[in-house]
Amino acid sequence: MSPEVLSVILLTLQVATVSTLIVLLPATVLGYVLARYEFFGKNVLSALVGLPLVLPPTAVGFLLLRLFAVDGPLGRETLGFDLNILLTWKGAVIATATMSLPLVARTAKATFEGINPRLELMAHTLGHGRLATFFQYSLPMARRGLLGAVILGFTRAMGEFGATVTIAGNIPGRTQTIASAIFSAQQVGAQARADFFMLVAIVLGFLAILSAELLGHGRALPRVARP
Amino acid sequence: MTSVPPTHDSLQDGSLDGLTVQVRLPLDRFDLNIDLRTEKHVTGIFGVSGAGKTSLLETICGVRRQARGIIVLGEETWLDSERGVFVKPSQRHIGYVPQDGLLFPHKDVRHNLLAGRKRGVRRGHPVRRTFETAVHILELGPLLERSVHALSGGERQRVALGRALCSGPRLLLLDEPFASLDVALRRKLLPFLRRVRAEFQIPMLFVSHDPLEVQALCDDLIVLRDGTIISHGDPRAVLTASHIFPLAEQHGFENILPCYAMEGGGSTGQVRLGEGGDAERVSVELVTLRSEAQPGEALLAGIPAHDIMLATRRPEGLSARNVLPARITQLRSVDHVGLVTAELSPDLPPLTVEVTEKSFVELGLRVGSEVFLVIKATSCRLYRTGERRRT
Repeated sequence: MSPEVLSVILLTLQVATVSTLIVLLPATVLGYVLARYEFFGKNVLSALVGLPLVLPPTAVGFLLLRLFAVDGPLGRETLGFDLNILLTWKGAVIATATMSLPLVARTAKATFEGINPRLELMAHTLGHGRLATFFQYSLPMARRGLLGAVILGFTRAMGEFGATVTIAGNIPGRTQTIASAIFSAQQVGAQARADFFMLVAIVLGFLAILSAELLGHGRALPRVARP
Repeated sequence: MTSVPPTHDSLQDGSLDGLTVQVRLPLDRFDLNIDLRTEKHVTGIFGVSGAGKTSLLETICGVRRQARGIIVLGEETWLDSERGVFVKPSQRHIGYVPQDGLLFPHKDVRHNLLAGRKRGVRRGHPVRRTFETAVHILELGPLLERSVHALSGGERQRVALGRALCSGPRLLLLDEPFASLDVALRRKLLPFLRRVRAEFQIPMLFVSHDPLEVQALCDDLIVLRDGTIISHGDPRAVLTASHIFPLAEQHGFENILPCYAMEGGGSTGQVRLGEGGDAERVSVELVTLRSEAQPGEALLAGIPAHDIMLATRRPEGLSARNVLPARITQLRSVDHVGLVTAELSPDLPPLTVEVTEKSFVELGLRVGSEVFLVIKATSCRLYRTGERRRT
C-alpha cells in the first residue's frame, strides 16, 4: 500500500474519530433533554436538530462555507484572526460532525425513551440528585444504545461526501477522504484505485455495523439461568 | 429461622414517628383529597384500583409536584405549600417498594440492594448491619451475585424490599409489592413482610387490596374511594364495616385468626387459636387439613365468611370437623346479605359469618345469642408466618 493511499485511509479515520468525539456529549445531552423534558419550543428544537438529515449535504456544506468564509460571521474579517477551517481537515471534521450529530442525537433520544423513567424516580427516592441519577443510572442503563449511536455517527462521518467536499475540498494528501478518493478516481478513470477504496469502505462499514449488531444483542440472555 | 441481631431501629423501642398527610392533588377523574394522621406501625391503604392509592404514595414521595398541603413525618416537614416548603424526593428518606420492583438492570442484586447506601450513610444509618439483617430475613444470600434478569418475580420483589430497607428510610411505602404475583406465591411471601415488620421499627404505609394481607400486617387501615378516605380504623373493624365489606367481595371476605400448630394426627392438622400468651387462656382448637407446619409454629388461619354455618343448637351427625360455641356480638345486613359477627372467646378477634337475610329471621338471631359455628376442616386455610410461637 502506497503512503499516499494509506494517508487517505488514516485521514478518513482521523476525521471520523475527532468528529465523533466532538458530537458525543452534545448529542447525548440533546437526546436526553428531548426524551425527558417538556418545554416551550421543543418541537422546533427537535426539527432543527434533524434538519441536516433531510437537507442535501451540499447545502449543509455551503451553509458552513458561508459561515466560515473570509467575510462570514466566523470568518477572518469578523473575528480578526483566521480559524483555518476552509480547505483543511478541520473543515472536514466540522462538516462530518454537523452531518452525524442529528443521527447520534436521535438514536440517543430513542434509547433514553426506551428506559422506564420511573427507574430514574426510584434513583431519586434512594437519595440521588439529578446529576448523580443521570451519570450513575441513566447513562449506564443507556450505554448499549449510546454505543450503537456512536458507531452510527462514526460510520456516517466516514462516508460523508457532499458537505465535506464543499467546505474542505478534495485535496489529495490534505483533505481527500475515502469517499472523495473514490469520486476522483472514478472521474479520471482510475478503475483499480476506485475499486480498492470501495473495498476499504465496504470492509470498514461492515465491521462497524457488525459491532453495532453484536452490541445490540450481547447479553440479552440472562447470565445465570433461572433455578 | 435463626435469631437475628437486633438492628439500630428496633433498639429505639416504642416511639414511632407520627405521620401527617393533608394533601390535595387534581387527578384525571377526581381530586385526591387526603387527611390522614397515624402513629401506628403499619397503616394499610385499601381500595379498588383507580382509587388514588398510588397517587397518594407518589405524593408522599414528592414526585407529584402539583400536590398542595402538608406532609410531616415526626419532626420533619416534607411539604408545606403555604409556607413554600418542598423537600426534594432524594432528601425525604423514604423507602419505596413499587409493584413492579423497578430493579436497576445495570446492577447485580448486591449493588441494587446498596443503591441507596450513600443516603443511609449520610443519615448516620448503620447500613452494613441493615444490609446483613435484610439479606438474612429476606433470604437474599444466594442471590447476591446474580444479575437481576435472572430473578423470579418473588425474588425481584424481595430485592426491591431489601433495597428500600438498606437506604436507611424513616418511612417505608409499599405499593402492592406482591400484586403482580399469583396468589399462591403471594402467600409464600407474607412471612417476609411479617419479618420486616418484626425487625424494623419504621412506620410503613402498605397499599393492598388483599384483605388477608391487610389483616396479617396492618395495625391501622384507611380505605380510599375516588381519592378520599371513606373509612379509617382497626383493620378488622374497617373491613367488616357495612360500606366497606362489599369491596372485598372479589374473593369474599376471609376471617384471619392468629394460631399455632399442634401435634397433627394422621390425615388432619390441628391448631390452637390465639397469639402468644393468649393461646394459654383461649382453649379453642380448630381441626384443619394436614399442613407442613411444625408443632409450635405461629400460623394464621383463614376462614372465608361464606364457608361458616350457624346453628342455634349443637348439630349432630355432621361431617364438618369443627362445631364451636360462640356468642353473637353484632348483626347487620349489607346488600341483602346478613352479616353476623360472633365471638369464640373475648381474647380472640371476632369472626364474621355470611348468611342470607332469611336465616336471620327464621333462626331468630339476636345480639347476645349463643350459637354454634360449623366449619369444615377443608374450609380452614393455614398461612405460614415464618415465626415461632411467641410466649
